[in-house]
Amino acid sequence: MKALIPIIRLLVIAAPWAMARGAALSVVVLLMGVALLGLSGWFITATGIAGLAGIGIAFDVFRPSAGVRFLALGRTAARYGERILTHDATLRALAALRVTLLRQQGRRDARALARLRSEAVLTRIVSDVDALDGVLLRLVLPGLAALITHALVFWALGWLAGWPVAWAVLGGYVPVAALIFWLLARRSIGPSDAVEAQGQALRRGVIDMIRDRAALILGAALGAREAQILQIDMQSRTAARTLDRAERDASAALSLLVAAVTGVALIVGGALVAKGAAGPAVAAIGVFVALALAETLLALRRGVAELGKMSGAARRIGTDAPPAPEPFDAPDLTGAPLLRIDTPAVQIQLDENAAVALTGPSGSGKTTLLMKIAGLANGDGITLLGERPDHWPDAALRAVVTMVPQRSALIAGTIRDNLTLATDADDTTLWRALSAVALDDVIAERGGLGARLSEGGAGLSGGQARRLTLARAILTAPRLLLLDEPTEGLDADTAERVLSGIRTALPDTAILAALHRGADHPIFDRSLRIDL
Amino acid sequence: MTSPDQDSNRNDRARAKARIIAPVAQQLHRASMLAVLAGLVWPVQAAALAWAIAGWVEGDIGRTLPAALIFVTGGALRAALDHRAGAHLFTAADRTIARERAALIGREARARADIGSAQIAALIVQKLPLLQPWITRYHVAMVRVSILPLVLLAAAFWVSWVAGLILLVAGPLIPVFMALVGMAAETASRRQMDEISTMNAMLMDRLSASLDIRLLGAGARTAADFTDRAEGLRIRTMAVLRVAFLSSTVLELFSAIGVAMVAVFVGFTLLGAISFGSWGTPLTLGQGVFILLITPEFFQPFRDLAAAWHDRAAGLSVVAELDTLDAVDRVSFVGQAEHAAPLPGPLTLNLTGAVAALPGRRVALPDFNFAAGEALALTGPSGAGKSTALAAIVGLIPLADGRVEVCGVHLSDATADTWRARIALIPQSPHFPDQPLHAWLSPDGTDPWPALKMAEADRIVRRLPEGLNTRLGETGGGVSGGEARRLMIARAILTGRDLILADEPTADLDPETAAQVIRALTRLQRDGRSLIVATHDPALIDALDRAIEVRP
Repeated sequence: MKALIPIIRLLVIAAPWAMARGAALSVVVLLMGVALLGLSGWFITATGIAGLAGIGIAFDVFRPSAGVRFLALGRTAARYGERILTHDATLRALAALRVTLLRQQGRRDARALARLRSEAVLTRIVSDVDALDGVLLRLVLPGLAALITHALVFWALGWLAGWPVAWAVLGGYVPVAALIFWLLARRSIGPSDAVEAQGQALRRGVIDMIRDRAALILGAALGAREAQILQIDMQSRTAARTLDRAERDASAALSLLVAAVTGVALIVGGALVAKGAAGPAVAAIGVFVALALAETLLALRRGVAELGKMSGAARRIGTDAPPAPEPFDAPDLTGAPLLRIDTPAVQIQLDENAAVALTGPSGSGKTTLLMKIAGLANGDGITLLGERPDHWPDAALRAVVTMVPQRSALIAGTIRDNLTLATDADDTTLWRALSAVALDDVIAERGGLGARLSEGGAGLSGGQARRLTLARAILTAPRLLLLDEPTEGLDADTAERVLSGIRTALPDTAILAALHRGADHPIFDRSLRIDL
Repeated sequence: MTSPDQDSNRNDRARAKARIIAPVAQQLHRASMLAVLAGLVWPVQAAALAWAIAGWVEGDIGRTLPAALIFVTGGALRAALDHRAGAHLFTAADRTIARERAALIGREARARADIGSAQIAALIVQKLPLLQPWITRYHVAMVRVSILPLVLLAAAFWVSWVAGLILLVAGPLIPVFMALVGMAAETASRRQMDEISTMNAMLMDRLSASLDIRLLGAGARTAADFTDRAEGLRIRTMAVLRVAFLSSTVLELFSAIGVAMVAVFVGFTLLGAISFGSWGTPLTLGQGVFILLITPEFFQPFRDLAAAWHDRAAGLSVVAELDTLDAVDRVSFVGQAEHAAPLPGPLTLNLTGAVAALPGRRVALPDFNFAAGEALALTGPSGAGKSTALAAIVGLIPLADGRVEVCGVHLSDATADTWRARIALIPQSPHFPDQPLHAWLSPDGTDPWPALKMAEADRIVRRLPEGLNTRLGETGGGVSGGEARRLMIARAILTGRDLILADEPTADLDPETAAQVIRALTRLQRDGRSLIVATHDPALIDALDRAIEVRP
């Protein structure tokens, strides 16, 4: 529950003005609905009395009947406006939620960032974000609108039909409805979170079963695995059944509440008429208003039932985020060497325009070393311009160091979008970078910088994608360039051209490259072997 | 005249109904009847209120209490009926989803189709539940709309033919608008779903590139760019929604005008300003209040149906997907994959004229004999059928022709399980299920360390932050390709089986890592196991006893 509060704040802050207007119109819609039924009821009763008394001619029919028409049309118009405004506000909030998430995730360490490649992790994040989409539209806005409406109706009823009726309606609705919603929340929070969690487990189970099929058949374990997955499905459906039951109970309780409050309003109204404290027409207002107020409650039910799912998602997304980085002092940049590594496995110093190849079997820690220099892992024994990389402020560090990781990713969009991910550059510069990695011909053939790549950069071969990420790194013109297997997936000839191209494009940059092949390329001053 | 397109749409709908709705028709019928009964309680409640209020005017206050009692009892009855109807509906939907899920879970791993596991998981987990609103909302709304408005219309006519006429005119116009609104609501909801899924795709895309974005220092720019795109998307979506919402407003407008006209007409009649519309005797106050109260309920079923309209569309599209999945070609394996005692006798394998049956094509396999203790390489260029040969040997793919003889018996449904009980397979692309490493390596709890040492994988496990308790998860995060292969070899050793099959165990590995894998494999042979390896790596072929070429 607590985890939801920062999310709500974030969503509201995303579009406070649109949200406020949407909420105001929601209240207007509810109020007009209540007023419409109240006025119609009063009008019919009052005309009935006037007709019986034979003073029909003297009765002012025009203002009330104009009021009925105004409310009927006005309510429809207000409903339209409400829909537009609340959807607009929700869409803004959705975008804000995703941007915040993107920022938070981006601050995590190398291991966590690499995990974001996993489809399971991504699917979970996205489904959590989806679960939070309903927070405003189904929980916050209807809840707020219902409360305000009840408060305003209370004052209006007290003034029009007398305080006993007003108290009967407010006192009947608000505390009991609050109790029903509280019970619903309590009963549904467990199962609605469980439905979500079991759904994830089911998804993983099915994927595991299909991908591990051969081993399961060989191990004679397929049947057992199927039974296990069916068991998860049964648990998830049992939770869904509990949730449905809680929701239906709440619905029944709410509709009984509406009937009861209306009944009470009828009795109180009758008593007022009997005492002569109010005319029948005025007393009838309370009955019709009590009936019309049902609308304020029903919209909230679904949102409350989803509370468990929402707060579970908020909790996972919230704990996923690392603490905001502390503000650092800018490091002292004077005099110190560009890069100095002094660890048990590696000792080396790198100055401007040096180039070193890092070799060794997989698993020897080449990638980890590069990640440490890039400030994404514990940087013990490493100094960059005299300061540990993981102690640098991120923005300052990125201005000095760029790294191309081994399994680097492209984004959906044009070639230009991909190249200018980090920096703006004119087309001439972009083409120069592409030609440095021997990719200019390929891109020209595919329609130039405006050619589109689909999700994850699909549309280019592995080697072409690799070279595009290298071109992207060249464009940031760093003082230190870290390359993890830059020539993987390239044939010997292209690999040779690409390495030379990078050196030519960045003559003053220090380069540290982890490679399996090509460590003897002339651009490298020396090579350094790491062993297990 | 109907176009062929409409006909096929209608056929699809009929098939979908037969598949999803027909099996639970009885449940749905019961729920609909309960929901209709609940709707019929309202006129009684309305009459009670009208009777009491008329009593106030006529000086008969004594009606108040009984009327309140009738009203509350009616409310309780309505709540109970709806509650009960909901229970039937939930059961109907639950049964349907359980049935379809069980069918998919029981089929998709047994008989593989060439469809990604993530796509099937999405269908099972996210899409099947979309059948629920179709089953629970649409059907009941349809039954209610065909009964309740007629009953209320009759009640209105019985009191006043003008009021009845107002409803009759406003009512039938609604179906006309409903088609429009149904379509518009569908557009609106689809548009919003599209917006969300586009934004989610963008989010996944950017999240999966997070490492690159961070290393390039492009975090702030990416966030700003995301905001811009989301803003553009919002503006376009709102343009569509403005129009789509407008048409659903028309439906509400009709019901609002209907209510206002009835109220005004009743008011004027009661005043005596209008003297027509009722049957002989003038309209009474009680009748007026009654008509006012039933009018909104007259329109309600139409609005419910309009709201449930796109539930049906969503349900139908799920059924279409299920139908497509039913129709794809599948490969099922030989045998039952049940526990069986290992096939007795010395290990032998003979292939004669074997042809593997894959969906839509046949793959001829080379003839060869293989005996216990041998280490054999199946070679050939990629796509020649090396993996298919391995799969056919273990009975993962049935034969179209020829025979595979194992330990002297024919490989068939009867013998496949016993034959497989002697084999371990090391697949090309490692997959780690979501379970701790020790459970994955040795489900029976044997000490994994000797096997890990033999596969040169002990250091890998020691280096993992949680050692044997690490969950490697879907992509094997935390281990490299070569490390994953060596873990797979350790797992094969731990099965204790005497024939080990490996599919391209050195693909995509650097020479040093490949050498480690080759050493681990040859160590297996020295340990007394037999080995069949599909590979085109010369270093690996050299390390084995002999090679047989698979030709496309």
